[in-house]
Amino acid sequence: MTNSKTYSDTDLHLALDGEMPAEQRAEFDRWLEQNPKEQERFQQFETDRKALKSALDPVLEEPIPSRLTRIRATANDNSATASRWLMAAAAVLLFAAGGAAGYLAGARLPAAPNEASLLADNAIAAHVIYAAEKRHTVEVGANEKDHLVAWLSKRVGLSLVAPDLEKYGFSLVGGRLLPSGARAAAQFMYENTGGDRISLYVTTVDNKDETGFRLVEERGARAFYWLDHGYACAVTGSLAEDELLKLSRDAYRQLVSSDDW
Amino acid sequence: MNDRQKAILAEIPRLRRYARSLVRESDGADDLVQDSLERAFARIANWQTGDSPRRWLFTIMHNIFIDQIRKDQRRGEVVPLTDQEAGLAKVKAEQHDKLVARDVIDALQRIDPDRRAALTLVAVEGFSYAEAAEILRVPAGTVMSRIARGRNELREALNEGTRNRAIRVVE
Repeated sequence: MTNSKTYSDTDLHLALDGEMPAEQRAEFDRWLEQNPKEQERFQQFETDRKALKSALDPVLEEPIPSRLTRIRATANDNSATASRWLMAAAAVLLFAAGGAAGYLAGARLPAAPNEASLLADNAIAAHVIYAAEKRHTVEVGANEKDHLVAWLSKRVGLSLVAPDLEKYGFSLVGGRLLPSGARAAAQFMYENTGGDRISLYVTTVDNKDETGFRLVEERGARAFYWLDHGYACAVTGSLAEDELLKLSRDAYRQLVSSDDW
Repeated sequence: MNDRQKAILAEIPRLRRYARSLVRESDGADDLVQDSLERAFARIANWQTGDSPRRWLFTIMHNIFIDQIRKDQRRGEVVPLTDQEAGLAKVKAEQHDKLVARDVIDALQRIDPDRRAALTLVAVEGFSYAEAAEILRVPAGTVMSRIARGRNELREALNEGTRNRAIRVVE
């Protein structure tokens, strides 16, 4: 069979990009075979395309930097304005904090802010603000750990430890003193080699209840929060649920075993 | 997380790949992704339900990229890093396919940004001419001519890269 049709440079690109109608393609391929010079060009372009794609494809497999998953949603997102709780969670996307008043995903929100929800708000805000800080994440670095722990213990009024979370891949970055209402709160910040951060927020509360661990999961974000005999603690991060729970339990064990509070 | 936000987050790997084709250096590419996500979340209400989140996000990213290019052009010509500046010494230890990948990405940076965008949207990201036209806000015929010219420029840049390397090795 003889091809009467000749193809233009445009056709070559249409074929390369899958834009040539299927019924023309077979004829085009036959034409290529009869025109070695064009065929060579076609194959060179195809090789370049594959090289380009395989050069860029590995990006798809890279872990996503946490700064990209921390993007703030805004008030334009109506569902985020449903409550200040959801708003706070929206602000962090992949991490949140605080199981205020036993709030669980899907449960009703507390009607009025109580001490626990206020505290959870503070823990979230502190995490959002300082986990995103590159240079001023902490006031006192892990290199002065003893000083950090002694200082925060004194100010918060609890005998604190900075739990060792190395087995989960998180090293202590340091910590800072924060207000929690009229009281002081301690925040310990941890980071893994991927740059993901989790924080542990501890303060005293009047409430002497023991709540156990509460999970907040909203918009892919999660945190564990608990009250225990006059202190409150929130662990906030972007880990998988079971991992974050294990880590929270471990942090809890280390905190309570350290002293008599 | 609502479905819209999930859909946006699910596109991050694709956005990062496209950004890396537009901006050579990975931190700069992620800055572009970050700016795009911030704008997307701020304007989430503009996203028409039923529209592909991918096309919508790529459009946002393209607009930001073009704005940056315009700013850069006001400041002066953008000069892509040469192999040497990017640390040629390291190249020797790398495997052949990594070297090829580096060459092709370097070459991509040497072609005109409009053509670079059109070429990667279709050849790497797999969009049709019609979809790329929508993202780039130009007629499909323009997409096609940008791709055709971009492809030729990429090949020339690769040929040139090979020549330069040969010269350096001889030296």
